Amino acid sequence: MENQKGIVEIFAEKVWKFFSSVKLAVVLLIILAIVSVIGTVIAQNEAPERYLREYSQTTVQIFDMLGFFDMYHTWWFVLLLFLFTANLTVCTLDRFPHTWKLVTAPLKPIDDDSLKAVPFKKEMIFSAGADKAEERTVAALKARGYRYVESRGPGSAQFMTQKGIYSRFGVYITHVSILLIFVGALIGSFFGFKAFLNLPEGSASKVVYLRNEPMWDQIMAALGIAESPVIHDPQVGVPAMPLGYYVRCDNFDVDYYIGPSGMPTGMPSEYHSTLSIFDLDGQKILDKRIRVNDPLTHHGITFYQSSYGTIPDSRGKVLLNVRLKNDASSAGETISVDPGATAYVPSIDRTIKVLGFAPYGMRNPATGEIVFYHTENDEYINPTVELEVYRGHGGGKPIYKTAVMKTDPGQPNMPEGYVITYRGYVGARYTGLQVTKDPGVWVVYTGFIMLCIGPLIAFFGSHRKLWVRIQDRQGQTVVLVAGSANRNRIGFEKEFNRIAEEIIK
Amino acid sequence: MESSLLFNIATLAYLAAMVLYISYLAFRKKAIGWTATAITLAGFVIQTLALLLRWRESYQMDIGRVPLSNLYESLVFFTWSTVLIYLIVEFKYKTKAFGAFVMPVAFLALAFINVAGISSDITPLVPALKSNWLFYHVLISFLGYAAFGVAFAISMIYLLMNTDEKGPVANLFAGLGTIVVLAPIGYFMASQGDRMKTAFWLGLGVLVLAWFIYLIVAGARNKSQVFLFWSFCITLAIVLLVAMGIDFVYLVSMKNLAAGESYKKHMFESTFLNSSTPVTIVSWAAVLAVFYFIWSKGMGLKRLLKPYIPAQDLLDDVTYRMIAIGWPLLTAGIITGAVWANSAWGTYWSWDPKETWSLITWFVYAIYLHARYVRGWKGAQMAVISAVGFLAVIFTYLGVNLVLSGLHSYGGLN
Repeated sequence: MENQKGIVEIFAEKVWKFFSSVKLAVVLLIILAIVSVIGTVIAQNEAPERYLREYSQTTVQIFDMLGFFDMYHTWWFVLLLFLFTANLTVCTLDRFPHTWKLVTAPLKPIDDDSLKAVPFKKEMIFSAGADKAEERTVAALKARGYRYVESRGPGSAQFMTQKGIYSRFGVYITHVSILLIFVGALIGSFFGFKAFLNLPEGSASKVVYLRNEPMWDQIMAALGIAESPVIHDPQVGVPAMPLGYYVRCDNFDVDYYIGPSGMPTGMPSEYHSTLSIFDLDGQKILDKRIRVNDPLTHHGITFYQSSYGTIPDSRGKVLLNVRLKNDASSAGETISVDPGATAYVPSIDRTIKVLGFAPYGMRNPATGEIVFYHTENDEYINPTVELEVYRGHGGGKPIYKTAVMKTDPGQPNMPEGYVITYRGYVGARYTGLQVTKDPGVWVVYTGFIMLCIGPLIAFFGSHRKLWVRIQDRQGQTVVLVAGSANRNRIGFEKEFNRIAEEIIK
Repeated sequence: MESSLLFNIATLAYLAAMVLYISYLAFRKKAIGWTATAITLAGFVIQTLALLLRWRESYQMDIGRVPLSNLYESLVFFTWSTVLIYLIVEFKYKTKAFGAFVMPVAFLALAFINVAGISSDITPLVPALKSNWLFYHVLISFLGYAAFGVAFAISMIYLLMNTDEKGPVANLFAGLGTIVVLAPIGYFMASQGDRMKTAFWLGLGVLVLAWFIYLIVAGARNKSQVFLFWSFCITLAIVLLVAMGIDFVYLVSMKNLAAGESYKKHMFESTFLNSSTPVTIVSWAAVLAVFYFIWSKGMGLKRLLKPYIPAQDLLDDVTYRMIAIGWPLLTAGIITGAVWANSAWGTYWSWDPKETWSLITWFVYAIYLHARYVRGWKGAQMAVISAVGFLAVIFTYLGVNLVLSGLHSYGGLN
């Protein structure tokens, strides 16, 4: 009766055995490699119209049913990943105790039986006597940093040593790192979210619009345990996630590479937005100029510069800076003017009238004449503002008419003792922000670091064992050198031969 | 630009080294061997200088960026890494036998750049690429690719040396016949619209994969099949290089490609996808001829090389070591890419085609390592996996940019 196992036990054992097989791992790797190709051939997450243009209706239906349009998130692909994870976990757990035993077990003296399994061995007759042999052995081992253990029996002495035992853990570090990356990704999809926010210049928002709702909130809400913080407003149509603070876009701009002529080439060099964070009472907390590759993070939520666009039927305000020519150190005075309107600047007792704004102007360096170009989608490649300057509070005839542009400080073309420079055109565009929260990312990064280290230890570390046995056989000293290495056998063989030579020489 | 001059000198040095390494195999004169190594080393130093100079030139142009960010620079860097890894292998294993196989790869890649007329202009970076991660990501990835490239070259030698005879002619006819049957089916299905085209490519992919898997599983037993695979790989490499070379002569030099138009859409237009049927048929006939030639002359090549090639166990060991270096580099390359993506877009993995293909490559080499460590495989099967892995590398590097589209599209030939 004792040997009889319950059906559950037998089943559990079978499942364990199934998942602990490396064959399964290889099969799963092959399957994953093959099915992953599908999603690279069929464009993912496109609009249905595009698919219908490319494939017939039946094909679209079949692909849709199989989930080929969002393949990497289908239940069967996720299931494959889970099987792979289970396989990896069980394989690791199954083998680890064996490795642990191997690592912790004390090195045993070698005997003729265990010698059979050792790949490198050399037995030699040594004429200078056992003491000399011991002396040389100790010297040879010490010279290479081997720490040895001695074992003595009647008429025989053994020196045992090993190195690089830690390399046995390399494979576990690698495997655990992959598990960590999976766990981190799961944490991310349960507790994190991906969202977007198109924020017009000068306006603020306390919510972002979700691409996917945190799974944890969905589950809690479905179970009736906790209410989801997500706001479903049928008028907006997209679920909104409250931030707990306000984010405001102060300014968005595109910088362009400057060509050899000193004028912008039309090739963007940088997209950037100045964002400010306010608490719900309107108190400003911080601001930051974000650009691609340099996001802003506040309370675990990160804002990335992602896109931008023009707000239809909107006009911005022109920002101008006025600074005295002989006072280069001062920041000057910045004014904001609507196109067509005027502004009085007390420091110079002049009134500036903004005649108009053009997105792409260039000055002929010889004549100072300004030429306007057409730009696609109203890109502000070299924004140019035309203006008139009046004496005092205005009225009467303008003193002069000029134009200022982003890449042109306007210095030689300013007739009076001050310089007017362009600072921005704010309010006609919005910045497109990608907003994410991913509490799992640090788990993933820990996995990344381990995944960089693990294979190096596993491939380039080597567990080497070495025995030197000095025996007295009928008055003759017989020296046996034996050794094994689990990696880089060729390198070890060289070292092994050198040690043997040093002892016997 | 002085850097282009230095690049040209390096190209010539690699050409000379290639010739010398091959004559070293043929004549076995020590002096030739040392000259080959010296010239390779000199070419490498010159190329390194050229890379640094190009870096400096970018600063002089006020663009200031690492010379690792377009197809031209990545191909140049790929050859640089390949030669570096080759020199390490030569030094470590004290054998010059691999030079005759690795240097042609380096020279052909550089020649490809010149023939192809790939633009060598230093262009400014798009904002997404302006990150310190660019340097580490590309550097690490390409060193990994180069290690896999050397592993591939050595696997090819292994597979040739592993074959005793080319096997029955039936094998060749099966190979040629498959091409003769599949090519018209492909053309017919492609003419039936995009979905049939996709279906054809998927079907072909499944067939090829099935063959690879069969070879890996039965690899050790069926040597003549493995030899057919070897002929296939060599033919594929030659045909792709030559066809793309003709494309560039035809499309770029003859200005049949409008300025700014992407090569992607016109790939193989001068050969396999030519509007004239006779040209297409001649192209395919040439493929069959190359295949036949490689297959029938393989054994002759083996006899010629046999005395100069190290023992098969050493070939196997070097292949493994190259993969043991390449795989951690590929891993680190994927990881630096992921960390970079997270800092630029807020997501470390988005299953973009390039990411996915690098993961597929990673899977293939993971299979290699597990088959070796845990299942104790050696020899022909491993060489086949290594070759399949490199096909995946090439697709990740060039195929994804040329055929598919995604976040890495700036690497394309335009």
